[in-house]
Amino acid sequence: MGPFGAALTVVVATGVAVVTSRWLRVTLDPVALTAPERMPFIGGGQPEVHAWSRFHVRYYAMALLFLAFDMEMVFMYPWAVVFVEEGALALMEMLMFIIILLLGILYAWREGALEWA
Amino acid sequence: MGIARWLTPLAAGADVPVFTAIGAGGRALADEAALLPGVRLVDSPRAANILLFVGAVTPPLLRPLLGIHDQLPTPRATVWWPGRAVGGGLASALPDLVVGPAGDGDHLRSVFAELLSGERRSEPPALPDQEAAEWRGVGPFGQGGTGMTGGVPYGRPLPSRAPDPDGLELDQLPLHVGPLFPPFPPGLILHIELQGDVVRQATVGDNPFAGATEDLDQDGPPLDTALFVGALTSPTPIGDLEVARARHHLRWAARTLRLHGLESEGLRLLGLARSLAPADRAAVESLAQRIARSRSLAWTTRGVGILGTDDVTGGPVARAAGLAVDARLHDPAYQGLGFSPVVHGAGDARDRLRQRLAEAVQALELAERAGSQLRRPGPPLEGPRGPLGTEDPLPSVALLGLLPRLLAGQEWGDAMTIVASLDLDLEEAAVGQPAPIPA
Repeated sequence: MGPFGAALTVVVATGVAVVTSRWLRVTLDPVALTAPERMPFIGGGQPEVHAWSRFHVRYYAMALLFLAFDMEMVFMYPWAVVFVEEGALALMEMLMFIIILLLGILYAWREGALEWA
Repeated sequence: MGIARWLTPLAAGADVPVFTAIGAGGRALADEAALLPGVRLVDSPRAANILLFVGAVTPPLLRPLLGIHDQLPTPRATVWWPGRAVGGGLASALPDLVVGPAGDGDHLRSVFAELLSGERRSEPPALPDQEAAEWRGVGPFGQGGTGMTGGVPYGRPLPSRAPDPDGLELDQLPLHVGPLFPPFPPGLILHIELQGDVVRQATVGDNPFAGATEDLDQDGPPLDTALFVGALTSPTPIGDLEVARARHHLRWAARTLRLHGLESEGLRLLGLARSLAPADRAAVESLAQRIARSRSLAWTTRGVGILGTDDVTGGPVARAAGLAVDARLHDPAYQGLGFSPVVHGAGDARDRLRQRLAEAVQALELAERAGSQLRRPGPPLEGPRGPLGTEDPLPSVALLGLLPRLLAGQEWGDAMTIVASLDLDLEEAAVGQPAPIPA
């Protein structure tokens, strides 16, 4: 079976899976839902407003910190190559770079960026 | 339908997924349901096929109950363990309602098997198919919305905005949780303003048991502390009182542990509570130590819902905050039993759990020492939630009053922990409250 055969198998299998699951759902649960049946469960109470609400993403600061260190890793790849030639000097430079970032994290920590609420 | 017929016998062999809704006087019986073999209590009606309603229906409970009934997926059936009174319009709203023998797991399993085999028809929806607001075909795209945030998209308006502590203007979601929300004590309705998962504001809704508690039972309000209320007026053996106190605390702890995901420990506590005797002290003590050692429980409850000594006046909640108050200290019946109250100091949800478990162990010890000694009526009596027979209202009234202040600013999970940690009883809070004027 060549690559075309493999692709055809995947397409056919996906098609069968979609049709079967749809048919299963209609067969096993044929009841049309009424408005009260669609209601979310909040202990018997009724929602007053739409649940589509904009809320504070509180991991925002954490995500920024993560990105900063993620980018630092990107710088480390070329540094690892140069490190063999430059030796201790390259190590010092990278340490300085990391210390500056570390100060940033300490500042963020003090400012409460790592607190969830 | 061939495939459904082939699959249903297989499904009927599984544990029965049951959602329990608890009405007036049904709490103890609902605890028993957790111990039934072959029955699995689920936390949402969406995961259940059987709606088990335990206790009596009061008029304000009927509409929420029917709403939950409709939220069960098909096939569904409703089983009612009425306990005391039959009535309240439930039977007329649900024509296929099964009034079951209370506490019978075999009956629940047979209803489930009939439901799956098709012998019993799935209950039709109880409420009319009516949207909260007309939206189909309304607006430029027919979804009920207009503009960016206007109209009623899919039947409901979008939430309004409110300031956030970080200086942002964010949506605030008003939510009416209860009265049949499993993590809450039965009947508790909280009107919560949510921003994300943070509770900005919480107010306690109308008590659905108000004015109804006396009607349901001629012999007095069906409180879970009925033995203690009775002991105010008639001589009662101290042993009985203390075993009842221990049982109350163990049941509460079992419900709280279930909320925290330690269900198996909770079931063991319930099993012990069912036939509790002073001789079970060692078993209760070792289980209590095991629970106190749980790191996940400590992590979720430490520092949550701290109450200081100024906030509370009596009961286990006050003793967990470090206040050595107990009506038993001034009760002549307890002199000579060597009673001194257990206290903790942090006053958080963790200490309230440890406090009640320690008090359960102590109560069994007192029961053993007291033998058949009688307590004569007269002085105030220390109930499981606080002093009874004093000038003050019953303990649950004061505890309910603490909720709005404790919940403001809490994350959802901590808010649930706080509500559970106070051991509220809405029926107790409703004693003497007049019925609401029907709108």
